[in-house]
Amino acid sequence: MEPSRELNFDALVIGGGIAGLQAALDLADQNFKVAIVEKDATIGGKMIRLSKVFPTLDCASCITTPKMAASAHHENISIFTYCDLTSLKRDGQEIKADITQMPRYVDADKCIGCRQCEYGCPVYVPNHEEGNFNFRKAIYIPFSNAIPQIALMDVENCSLCGKCAKVCPTGAVDYFQQPEDFVIRAKTAVLATGFKLTPMDQKPQYGGGKIQNLISSLDMERLLAPHGPYQRVIRPSDGKEPDSIAYVQCAGSRDKTLGVPYCSRVCCMYAIKQAMLLSGALPLADITIYYMDIRAFGKGYEQFFQNAKAMGIEFVKAKIAKIEQADNQYVRLRYEDQEGNGGVVEREHDLVVMSLGMVPDWNPAGVCDVACDTDAFIKSTIPSLAPTVTSIEGVFAAGVAIGPKDIVDTIAEAGAAAMEASKYLNALENPKAA
Amino acid sequence: MSTKKTAETEEPRVGVYICHCGGNISDHVDVKKVAENLEKVPGVAVAHTNMFMCSDPGQELIQEDIKSGKINRVVVASCAPSLHETTFRGAIKRADMNPYLYEHANIREQVSWVHHGEAATAKATSLVTAAVAKAKELEALDPIKVDAARHATVIGGGIAGLRAALDLAQRGIEVALIEKSPFLGGQAANLERIVPTGERAADLIQDLAAKVMADSRIRVYTCSRIVKSEGYVGNFKITLKTQPPDSQADLEKLQEVAAKGEKPGRFVPFAGFLAVKVPTTASEQVLDSGAIVFATGFSTYTPRDGEFGYGQNPEVITLPQLIRFMSQEKSRGRSLTINGRTIRRVALVHCVGSRQIPGIHEPDADGGLNEYCSRTCCAATLQAASEIRERYPLTHVLEYYRDIRTYGRGQEEFYERASENHVMFLRYEPEDPPQVERLSKGNFPLRVTVKDTLTFGEALSADVDLVVLSVGMVPSRIADLVDMMKLPVGADRFLQEVHPKLRPVELANTGILLAGTCQAPMDISEACNAAAAAAAKATSLLSKGYVELDPFVAQVDLSRCKGNGACVAACTVDAIVMQTVEVDGQSVERAEVNPALCTGCGVCVAVCPENAIDVKGWTLEQYEAMVDAIVAD
Ligand SMILES: Cc1cc2nc3c(=O)[nH]c(=O)nc-3n(C[C@H](O)[C@H](O)[C@H](O)COP(=O)(O)OP(=O)(O)OC[C@H]3O[C@@H](n4cnc5c(N)ncnc54)[C@H](O)[C@@H]3O)c2cc1C
Ligand code: SF4
Ligand code: SF4
Repeated sequence: MEPSRELNFDALVIGGGIAGLQAALDLADQNFKVAIVEKDATIGGKMIRLSKVFPTLDCASCITTPKMAASAHHENISIFTYCDLTSLKRDGQEIKADITQMPRYVDADKCIGCRQCEYGCPVYVPNHEEGNFNFRKAIYIPFSNAIPQIALMDVENCSLCGKCAKVCPTGAVDYFQQPEDFVIRAKTAVLATGFKLTPMDQKPQYGGGKIQNLISSLDMERLLAPHGPYQRVIRPSDGKEPDSIAYVQCAGSRDKTLGVPYCSRVCCMYAIKQAMLLSGALPLADITIYYMDIRAFGKGYEQFFQNAKAMGIEFVKAKIAKIEQADNQYVRLRYEDQEGNGGVVEREHDLVVMSLGMVPDWNPAGVCDVACDTDAFIKSTIPSLAPTVTSIEGVFAAGVAIGPKDIVDTIAEAGAAAMEASKYLNALENPKAA
Repeated sequence: MSTKKTAETEEPRVGVYICHCGGNISDHVDVKKVAENLEKVPGVAVAHTNMFMCSDPGQELIQEDIKSGKINRVVVASCAPSLHETTFRGAIKRADMNPYLYEHANIREQVSWVHHGEAATAKATSLVTAAVAKAKELEALDPIKVDAARHATVIGGGIAGLRAALDLAQRGIEVALIEKSPFLGGQAANLERIVPTGERAADLIQDLAAKVMADSRIRVYTCSRIVKSEGYVGNFKITLKTQPPDSQADLEKLQEVAAKGEKPGRFVPFAGFLAVKVPTTASEQVLDSGAIVFATGFSTYTPRDGEFGYGQNPEVITLPQLIRFMSQEKSRGRSLTINGRTIRRVALVHCVGSRQIPGIHEPDADGGLNEYCSRTCCAATLQAASEIRERYPLTHVLEYYRDIRTYGRGQEEFYERASENHVMFLRYEPEDPPQVERLSKGNFPLRVTVKDTLTFGEALSADVDLVVLSVGMVPSRIADLVDMMKLPVGADRFLQEVHPKLRPVELANTGILLAGTCQAPMDISEACNAAAAAAAKATSLLSKGYVELDPFVAQVDLSRCKGNGACVAACTVDAIVMQTVEVDGQSVERAEVNPALCTGCGVCVAVCPENAIDVKGWTLEQYEAMVDAIVAD
């Protein structure tokens, strides 16, 4: 298919998570024209899906929405969501990106975000955005503070009943929408493609993903979110309010057999954060964190950890060897006791959270020849003095795309990537000044 | 602005927008009820609620009401204004209304987080009603525009300062780089190879410093300190004093450099990059600068006398000292030797001066504790351990730790390498730290005993030749600058950013930015990222050539001012002066405010006997309206 159009910008940002948004804002504030290309139907990345954030316990939405809105309204920023990046290459003096706009089956120009289609749709689908704990419709807006507020149809589950098209006041529903190819040319690019969690089912000793009431840390973020699926924390299998909750640290990290030898940097802190929020929500519940080392190294993090200990959260130094289903949908953990008298110990909990690690969300193979390291994250070619510089001239990277990190470090790094990109742009404009 | 005129002449029609904050507010405050209550308040045209007012749909709600002419004043009731005041002002401005016709009510921190049930709903209603009363009195204002010098001052010539200076210069901003010592490179000059890349610190410093020296847009002032700072963002006036070095440490380093015959322009190990000739006379100059970047870095913690035997036993040293000894050690023996002594066994102790806990650790002379983790010492200690094992196979290494924090990319490998090198790990709890005692007889000078939690809390003793303390980071001594510029400092005594996520490299003092370890412990790559982020902020601030300041400044009512002068005396920032003006053909003295200097604190308002001075956006009339509204029911 011929690309339908070609657009020109100073800078192209791939990924609309907090790293991409911050990099775009820092470039746009320096008066450069920026395009953000996001594969998801909304910008905001993982951060908008979190409950509250360590160490300040600010609600994640309260910190993310203003950055999302500021990007969406910035006169120098254009946002392209639900887009598939098929190629990103240096082309002479420019970076050329081939992009496919995926069909939403809703005309983005006509949709006014009124949600009539969503209310009208009779099909209920497990809501992935809420850890599948509740349901959404087959045509929907991802969540209340998504940007843009444009509906999209899940064709896999649509029953083609035609209700949505009937109720839409602007005639935006379009069952025949086609993918559209277009090209973005820019002088510089920032890769901010973020992460996904290590899979729940990768370890046979941890039940291969089949154990009830063993959930991922991101699912727990949703359970804890003030506007979450149940508005309270319950055990998914039977709705019981849990009396005892445990965290398995390094569940997908620091483990060579999983191909993730590195530390994911955030899981100790988010487990402590969730434990604190849980002890607020369920004051009577026992909360235990099984860990190898507590890595609370950022500003204010050690104090946060000590507060959690003082609040009565139990920290047990142990590497969990096995996770099994116990009777009454309890989860049994087995580990070797180090601190007590030794030997193998078994303990059962109502609800167990896997503190999963981070792996890159984007695999550039076949799309972009940017060099990656043995850990699969994008390689930094000047790792100490300019960590955001990649193997391609004029292409920079920020956030978890270039190694696990928390929000604070991500935001600083995004500023740094914007600085590198703006220096690059400046040097192109004034070759002598560089 | 056409809307400005109409807004002032038209009857006020206030739009009230109440936020659920996802549940943060609505779990405790009945927001629907508050909206119903407000709808009845005179002057309120609409009252809406929304899940997240700061989200796009929330902001659009306000904008639609403005555009349709329903409202000409806005009250948002949500979180603290520090979080989102600018968000809402921006939304109002985009809808073509004056952004200062807006008032904020904090019903989260001041209501839902501290009150519950009906009391919470009642208090929220009163606060929002008061905000409406004020909103009705608001006037359209314009931000104050001041010219900004395209010049930035970077304080501190360590890695972060060098990085920030280079970045700013490469964006066409003139830079003054100020360093108190004769050397550039800061603390990194005391390192050999850095974790995890294995690069030589010397090469990194040489690379950055040489680029800084070669850049015509950067002026480097070594042996210099700031002695005075005045002005405001865009227009700082910084007085700099350059003088011959006098600190003992600097003089010793200079002697070593002279002995080696090194000239300026080169890196000297354990000293730094000697930038220019050392001055022989003192001089002062004043710089006009648009922004200031703090990159004053850290110093290493000095253990107290007797802490792990430090100061009482020459065999107890710090990690930086070990690094230096090892770099000077040229013997090719199979054991590490230090000052001629063969080291058969060495104990490395983590977390010295870091992760201190009230009630367990002793506070320092100022009563402070370093409760934070210093972030870099674990990896550095593991690197030293492996280096000892690999270079000196007959020297055994024991590591006493609390948690191993090799969090960074490529750092975990150092932990593994140390294990492969048969470094022995022992783990202690803070309440039972390793005890170091002097042995009077036997083969070894020192014995280290610890309750090892890796072996069920058994007390393990080891006799050693050397104890090395992994000392943490403490902020550099910059009390003079903190006082002079009134900078916010955290409980951890590092400089305190406005908000760790929303504005991580900015201080509350507009135009003053943070780079590197003056803010918190970080490693070289993290300090470079922070420095570049600070440079990006400074560039956005200065690239327009002007900055816009909030118009909440004092304003003199000349019809009332009698030239009494109380305000001039009261003003703490010298923003008010007496001017001679003609009134009825006579020359009289009247107060005049410099809006760029005024911080809007209002002390002048309190002292004026004539009620002739008021702060715009916070006038006495507006306050009275709020108080009346609160006491009305
Ligand atoms: C359970 C959990 C709790 C956490 N809690 C906290 C906390 O309390 N405090 C804290 O500081 N940190 C926390 N974190 C870490 C935090 O989530 C990350 O630091 C942060 O979200 C990283 O932002 P990012 O922009 O780099 O990545 P992401 O948020 O992953 O954003 C990347 C974006 O790029 C898009 N993308 C990917 N590939 C492509 C492509 N090919 N084309 C276009 N777009 C693409 C993705 O869809 C996504 O929107 C937590 C993490 C987890 C898992
Ligand atoms: S942050 Fe903690 S839980 Fe996560 S991988 Fe590192 S040590 Fe394990
Ligand atoms: S980095 Fe390691 S040695 Fe340093 S303070 Fe933190 S835990 Fe202790």
